[in-house]
Amino acid sequence: MAGEIWQKIGEGFVQEYYNQFDNTNRMAIANLYSPNACLTWEGSAFQGKEAIANKLASLPFKMIKHIITKQDFQPTIDSCILIMVFGQLKADDDPPMAFHQVFMLKSQNGGWACTNDVFRLGVHNIPV
Amino acid sequence: MSDGEYDYLIKFLALGDSGVGKTSFLYQYTDGHFNNKFITTVGIDFRERRVIYNSTGPDGTTGRGQKIHLQLWDTAGQERFRSLTTAFFRDAMGFLLLFDLTNEQSFLNVRNWMSQLQIHAYCENPDVVLCGNKCDLSDQRAVSQEEARELAEKYGITYFETSAASGQNVSEAVDVLLDLIMKRMERCVDKSWIPDGTVRANGPSNLDLSEGSDRGKCAC
Repeated sequence: MAGEIWQKIGEGFVQEYYNQFDNTNRMAIANLYSPNACLTWEGSAFQGKEAIANKLASLPFKMIKHIITKQDFQPTIDSCILIMVFGQLKADDDPPMAFHQVFMLKSQNGGWACTNDVFRLGVHNIPV
Repeated sequence: MSDGEYDYLIKFLALGDSGVGKTSFLYQYTDGHFNNKFITTVGIDFRERRVIYNSTGPDGTTGRGQKIHLQLWDTAGQERFRSLTTAFFRDAMGFLLLFDLTNEQSFLNVRNWMSQLQIHAYCENPDVVLCGNKCDLSDQRAVSQEEARELAEKYGITYFETSAASGQNVSEAVDVLLDLIMKRMERCVDKSWIPDGTVRANGPSNLDLSEGSDRGKCAC
């Protein structure tokens, strides 16, 4: 399965996504989403690339670093790409935390855009 | 002291803005030193420590030491990603409210944390100890001891200036909080105020009861 086209596209997206998230102005990440994309962030829903970018840009930390542990890719029957990312993140001086993130990519206007994004921290033994 | 036998399981929660030193404070208390390394173990959100609490009876005598299993819960920075919900506050019996003496905004936000507590804790006036942390960084101090004391007095809570780096007043602050909780428990004839699962009589068998006073024992 290694080297399948959807895997290469998926890996490229994941690399670009976390690069932008960690290294640049997070408002620019809007460009990776389709106009009507959906984000579910810790159970809260946001729709539209602008609403999503606003949410991500407003997260209260100065610095964040994502480290990807594993990522998986699947092609869907309607020619989209499903991605699951499993990793750790570290915000400012806080202890690192695990996270899970799922993306759906769709081919639009000759490029790939994220139509769905679901994020959860991997925090288990704490009241939520 | 690592056995499963104890008289009470008590949960404390450390609160305060991100970066005030909650994790280091709890680490200092349970492990006795300051940790500034990158912790690679994820998902550990509370620390534990056993202490013996010696209550003083109304007649001035000291009762049998009670084995306390303290669980100290940390937000671990999750508040940056999601708001802390009601459930988060509900299960704790006592609260360590920290701010950073070198960061005025974290001190101003103590008011917000107090109102959150008054709304979401198990009762309107839970036991809280206020800690002005990072007192070792005296050249960067942005909050005076006077104004912090004044605020603590306004809320009727104890104030400590602490340092997770040097250990100054860290155990003292936790001890005062534990004392408040135990006194509150002894005052309460009806223990129904205790949130579910926070206090559990686990240790004393009938044998234990027969050899000492059972005053202060939790019936739940």
